[in-house]
Amino acid sequence: MKVYLKYNYPQLTKKILEDKLSELGYKFKIVGFGEFNFLEKIPTEKLMELTEQFQEYGIEIIENQKSALVQKIKDTIVEMVNSDTPINVKSSVHIAEKLNLSYVYLSSVFSEVTYTSIENYIIIQKIELAKQLIINTNMNLTEISIQLNYSSVAHLSSQFKNNTGMTPSAFQRIILKRKEFTSNNS
Amino acid sequence: MKDVQLRNSTIFLKIIFVISAAVIFFIAGITFKHITVLKKSSKWVEQSHNVNMELERLIPYLKDAETGQRGYILTNDKSFLTPYTESKTLIRDSYKKVSALTENSRTQQANLKNLLFYINKRQNYLSKTLYLTQQENYDKKILNNYLIIGKSAMDSVRTKIENMMSTQQNLLQNRQEDYKSTMNYTPLLIYLTLLVTLVLITISFIKMNRDLVKLRKTINTLSVANEASNLAEVVGGFGSWQYNLETNEYNFSDNEYRLLGVKPQSFKPSLEEFLKFVHPDDIQYVIDNAKNIPTNSILPPFTYRIIRKDGEIRYFRTLGRVVTIASGERTHIGTTSDVTEEVYANKFIEDRNRELESNNKELTAFNYIASHDLQEPLRKIETFLSRLVTKDYSNLSKSGQQYVTSIQSSAQRMRILIEDLLQFSRTNKTEKVFEDADLNSLLENAKQELTQIIEEKQAIIESSELPTLKVIPFQIQQLFINLIGNSLKYSKENRTPIIKITCSKIVANDDEFLPNNNMKYHKIIVEDNGIGFDQEYVKKIFILFSRLHNKNEYEGTGIGLAICKKIVENHQGFIFAKGVLNQGAAFFIYLPID
Amino acid sequence: MTEEYINICLADDDQDDRLFFTDAFDELKIKTKVSTFNDGVELMNYLNNADSILPNVLFLDLNMPKKNGVECLLEIKKNEKFNDIAVAIYSTSSSEEHIEETFINGANIYIKKPSDFDTLKKILSEVVTINWQYHTSGLNKDNFLMRM
Repeated sequence: MKVYLKYNYPQLTKKILEDKLSELGYKFKIVGFGEFNFLEKIPTEKLMELTEQFQEYGIEIIENQKSALVQKIKDTIVEMVNSDTPINVKSSVHIAEKLNLSYVYLSSVFSEVTYTSIENYIIIQKIELAKQLIINTNMNLTEISIQLNYSSVAHLSSQFKNNTGMTPSAFQRIILKRKEFTSNNS
Repeated sequence: MKDVQLRNSTIFLKIIFVISAAVIFFIAGITFKHITVLKKSSKWVEQSHNVNMELERLIPYLKDAETGQRGYILTNDKSFLTPYTESKTLIRDSYKKVSALTENSRTQQANLKNLLFYINKRQNYLSKTLYLTQQENYDKKILNNYLIIGKSAMDSVRTKIENMMSTQQNLLQNRQEDYKSTMNYTPLLIYLTLLVTLVLITISFIKMNRDLVKLRKTINTLSVANEASNLAEVVGGFGSWQYNLETNEYNFSDNEYRLLGVKPQSFKPSLEEFLKFVHPDDIQYVIDNAKNIPTNSILPPFTYRIIRKDGEIRYFRTLGRVVTIASGERTHIGTTSDVTEEVYANKFIEDRNRELESNNKELTAFNYIASHDLQEPLRKIETFLSRLVTKDYSNLSKSGQQYVTSIQSSAQRMRILIEDLLQFSRTNKTEKVFEDADLNSLLENAKQELTQIIEEKQAIIESSELPTLKVIPFQIQQLFINLIGNSLKYSKENRTPIIKITCSKIVANDDEFLPNNNMKYHKIIVEDNGIGFDQEYVKKIFILFSRLHNKNEYEGTGIGLAICKKIVENHQGFIFAKGVLNQGAAFFIYLPID
Repeated sequence: MTEEYINICLADDDQDDRLFFTDAFDELKIKTKVSTFNDGVELMNYLNNADSILPNVLFLDLNMPKKNGVECLLEIKKNEKFNDIAVAIYSTSSSEEHIEETFINGANIYIKKPSDFDTLKKILSEVVTINWQYHTSGLNKDNFLMRM
């Protein structure tokens, strides 16, 4: 019997974090998607232990400050793209405001670490969400383009094609056929 | 004349015959009875007549006796007594006769006894009288008395005889009465029966006459049919045969012999004789198949070779089946056709097909391999050229730079041509799967593929509802991409491209482009408001690599429409175009509705 | 631990193409480590070796002797060990149906070998970059499909 899943990553990660931190026994407070505070001092060995445990889940403790900032930017972008309420300001303005740093600075750090621009990353996330919506819901392209704040379906199709090299419908068709193929062969 | 009719006629005639025989027997019976009656009647008449006769004789006898007696009395001559003596015997005889004759009647017997009494009395008194008169002296008074009594007895006799005669007459009449009724209605019955018989005979005659006419007609029709059948065999080049399942004998039609190259009926029809004509390699095959004839009700067709008398080899096909005729008899009938022409034509076609197929395969393979394998080295050339340009352009002389640039541009052109050729060669039909596809989705996909240009040119694409058809989806999608792509490419500057796609169902007869027949098609029109083309060149545009513009004005290799045409042909359809320079173009696609 | 470089593998029987490939990556600013293999058998032997460092992105030519690209692709997709590898089919032109088939068989990326070196660099850069984003942002690799 086949079961299809959809993950709510923020919720998932938060739960894991809470569980693991509770196990550790030290007081903590989760501040954001990729950030939490220890409310008391924690010895280094315990920190190592935590790091090891985190590794099982693929959770990394970012030591590098720049990487931390980039992560913050990413989080903001993900939140922005996934939000149901439309954001009426330009994304660059929004991010700069959210993180209280100049957009120019943010851009340069982002590019340095991720090898891509913020704009590109936004597009990647948007397209990724579009892919999920195409696969997991019955929404048509018009509805998806509205949800993702595109000015038109053509704009969505165009960006989708630019990014992935194929049209949304071709993408959907391939994913479906792939599912059939893997189910027949497993 | 149908078999049922025939059977009915037979039954009818049998019935008539039985009725007639019955009638005749009936008549015979009645006649016999009648004759018997007549015989009896005349016998009675005779008998009565005899009775009366004898009775009447009695009186003369008595009278003779009387007269004799009287004469003797008068003359005393004994010769007068002769009648008297004779009469006794005569009277007795007559009396016996009457008695015998009236045996059956008690009345008469009683009367007779009565009569006898009186006769005896008469005779008595006669003899008494006689005796008296023979006395010397007799009393005349007694004589008178005797004479008177005698006379009265005689009167009684006479009366009695008259009585008896009338009784006899009555008896006769009674008897006659009995037979009268019979005598009366018998002739009537006979006349009636004769009439009926006459009617029956007339009906039979009419019926038989009609049947004969019908039979004659049927025989005529059969004769004609037979002749026609024979003629058909000759014209059609086949013969027929029959195998009687009861007698195990064959019957060949005339043409069956002619097919073999011999005179009709020139040998006794049989399997052995026929096999003499069969090609030695096929004899066993024919024997195996012919085994079915006596046993199976269907002989499926089988083809074999025969060698005619003149040595020519011909191909025959034989088939047959069992028919049951009205009487219940079963005959296996069949035909033998000369199919030599057909076999040769088929062989020819098959050979040609094989040739064509193999040619086609070769060409396709060649086409594909050429396009595909030519790409590799060309790509290398281009890539190395680009490396060269990137790294060492500045190291080249001016002419060197120019040359390199020209080489690059030619190589690029070549690549595009090969790519297009490859795409064209891929638009074949073999091994492609036809499946039900919604043309609206395919159109959507096509529009998605062209999103960029559509955006760029701000084009408007309108479409009406398209059907779902059994097609090769990728190809129809490509068709749309090519046509819409063209419309976008050849759009007029400063004019918003408007591309309209419409669909309708039409019958070939009603359409300007299609041949005249009753086939039905979906007609899809893709029209635009671009630069159009001169209608004069309409045939050219579908030709491979043929272009109406040079490559500096509009890019392209001239393959797009050729591919469209191939795709449409793969689907047993048609494509036509109409163009008006500077106004626009319209492409008409016809896909069959099956 | 952030990785310092991205691991790339290429299996292609053509010497020139291998050269183009490695040259292109050399000129990219992304830190990469590129290994090349001459045919499918060599590639699979490497991958199946327990000590080998698995690539982030694997480029497969389709027409190789001994074991061709599709065979490798199917083998790789069957093995859970290789789930993290983004497989790119790197080939000369194919028909639409073939391209779709490679995706259905499990390929993440289809690249038509370009005729121009700069284009090659651009394509490889984009592929690797986007793959990196998938890698570092926890995106669903199953939906990672690209066609260049």
